[in-house]
Amino acid sequence: MSAQRSTKLRLLALAAVALIASLALVACGGDGGGLSGSSNENATTAEGGEASGSLKISNWPLYIDNKTIKEFQKETGIKTTYTEDINDNNEFFGKVQAQLSQGESGGRDIMIVTDWMAEKMWNLGYVQKIDHAYLETVFDNMLPSLKDPAFDPGREYSVPWQSGMTGLVVREDLAPDVKSINDLFDPKYKGKVTMLAEMRDTVPLVMAADGVDPTEATTEDWMNAIDKLQKNVSNGQIRRFTGNDFVQDMIKGDVVAAIGWSGDTVQVETDNPNIKYVQPAEGCSLWSDNMLIPVGAPNSPAAYEFMNYVYEPENQAQITEYVNYVSPVKGVKEVLIKQDPEIANNQLIFPSDEFTENCFTQISPPGDEAEQKEVEQAFQNVVTG
Amino acid sequence: MTFRQRLTPYGLLAPGLVWLFIFFVIPMYFMAELSLKTGSLETGYQLTWAWNNYTDAISQYSTQFWRAFYYSAIASFLCLLIGYPLAYAIAFKAGRWKNLMLFAVVAPFFTTYLIRTIAWKTILDDSSPLVSFLKTIHVVPADGRVLATSAAVIAGLTYNFLPFMVLPLFAALERLDRRLLEAGNDLYASTAQTFWRVTLPLTMPGIVAGVLLTFIPAAGDYVNAIFLGGTSQAMIGNVIQSKYLVVNDYPEAAALSFTLMAIILVALIVYIKFAGAEALMGEDEEAR
Repeated sequence: MSAQRSTKLRLLALAAVALIASLALVACGGDGGGLSGSSNENATTAEGGEASGSLKISNWPLYIDNKTIKEFQKETGIKTTYTEDINDNNEFFGKVQAQLSQGESGGRDIMIVTDWMAEKMWNLGYVQKIDHAYLETVFDNMLPSLKDPAFDPGREYSVPWQSGMTGLVVREDLAPDVKSINDLFDPKYKGKVTMLAEMRDTVPLVMAADGVDPTEATTEDWMNAIDKLQKNVSNGQIRRFTGNDFVQDMIKGDVVAAIGWSGDTVQVETDNPNIKYVQPAEGCSLWSDNMLIPVGAPNSPAAYEFMNYVYEPENQAQITEYVNYVSPVKGVKEVLIKQDPEIANNQLIFPSDEFTENCFTQISPPGDEAEQKEVEQAFQNVVTG
Repeated sequence: MTFRQRLTPYGLLAPGLVWLFIFFVIPMYFMAELSLKTGSLETGYQLTWAWNNYTDAISQYSTQFWRAFYYSAIASFLCLLIGYPLAYAIAFKAGRWKNLMLFAVVAPFFTTYLIRTIAWKTILDDSSPLVSFLKTIHVVPADGRVLATSAAVIAGLTYNFLPFMVLPLFAALERLDRRLLEAGNDLYASTAQTFWRVTLPLTMPGIVAGVLLTFIPAAGDYVNAIFLGGTSQAMIGNVIQSKYLVVNDYPEAAALSFTLMAIILVALIVYIKFAGAEALMGEDEEAR
């Protein structure tokens, strides 16, 4: 009996020691408050110069062909580590925020995020300015329409990687009359419609369908559009919120019309001619993913070198041919028209001005961080209803 | 007992305890602290003892909590219903096929969880043979569907966690002393009576373990709801995932995780009380 009790006592003591040790650890670790009030006021400019050494790039999956990196290494002698570790802007932000707030990039020299996230990171002081003097090829070859975006006038810190359109994707054989976002709410297609789980893709299009100009929308407009989505979730109109997997549902015909991305549609069209991207009557949402040089990037000269390299039309053509998104580089069409005329004449890869006439640049909800978060949460509550 | 002998058990326990401490106790502590903080990812979190993270979590997401427990309870029950006869057949009737059948139970693990779940999208899609059949026999209405409904999520959970039910059941059935069944027959019990009064009580530890191993992970699962569910099948795991990765609201996410853990823990205690602790641990102490 007494032996048993002393065992119990010892176990208790062990537990107490464990708890105290963990408390001590917390005390040593500080409160983890992070840097508050960091901003871009004293943003540094990424240094240029002779490029050598090694380069580390973070990008999204399937966003480059498999030759470009090898050829870049061969041509420049810069040892390049290319990682596909970005699946979602928010998720990536959560992953790197702690390091960036301490002025460390985690070894990354280039990271690629969507417009609104680029702006957010810039506002927090996580991104360096770029020196146009070292980016001659980039600015010589960049499409004029991309040179002065609202979120980064004059391209002070961002260089587009690829652009794309968010619009309607339709099974032409099963839903031939879907021409506008409002057609997605037609009871005829109940349970056969999906939308994207990314708020900035879906909500502005729904607003535009109701006659609200997304670029001027108030928080209330956003909330109204989210309410409309909630109603269509409750009555079973919307089947799911998806990522790139909207394509699979569509191939099988479970879904006949969706809000989706242009690039994914191009990739699937060749095998499934019935699946078509349709430019919504109310316009599409235009966005870019951008190369940024984070604070603490170990080798910014090499980052400049890489940016210039992918802005050479010949090199860019190789990427475009593989990823099928809208290229930000002039002259790529001319290169491809000889090699691959089908791609060169595709409106989704080289859209004409008429094709994107009604389109607007993708935007975030208005207001400060807290207001934006509220809208994001409201949308998430619809998605995880 | 010499000093050294008394020390041996601790020495043997040490690696496990250190492991648990570093990878369970410490992270849990940080999570508990995080769940009481306020702030944002950009400005940092301050410990303000924000208990309202918990009340918010429960009041706002009670639907998803209920749904998670409801789905996983049904899935566990279905696993038991499917798993018991299967384990019984493997243990008693399989003969030389026993190892092959056990291998078949474990074989799905050779493919990743994600792929297995996505495969169910094909099995259940609107025009699949299975769904057409269900429509012909009027289990599913003519204009209905299976994918993107609760039924699909429960089917996915049942499929994915079935091996966790079968293996402990098999272990319990395999261990069963066959002479007890003969004794049952000798004492004029019918086969059914023997099953209900001998086999079932003696394999209770397997059932309890199986139910725990299926119910607990199923309650926290979010993969099945993402791929097989629609817009109204989100489980609490999906809410936690979205809080962590999309909204970046870590304190609320931590509070939700802790609430989930607490509920499961309470349910577990009640369940073990009800089923009897011996059922879980085996009745070694009385028997030996």
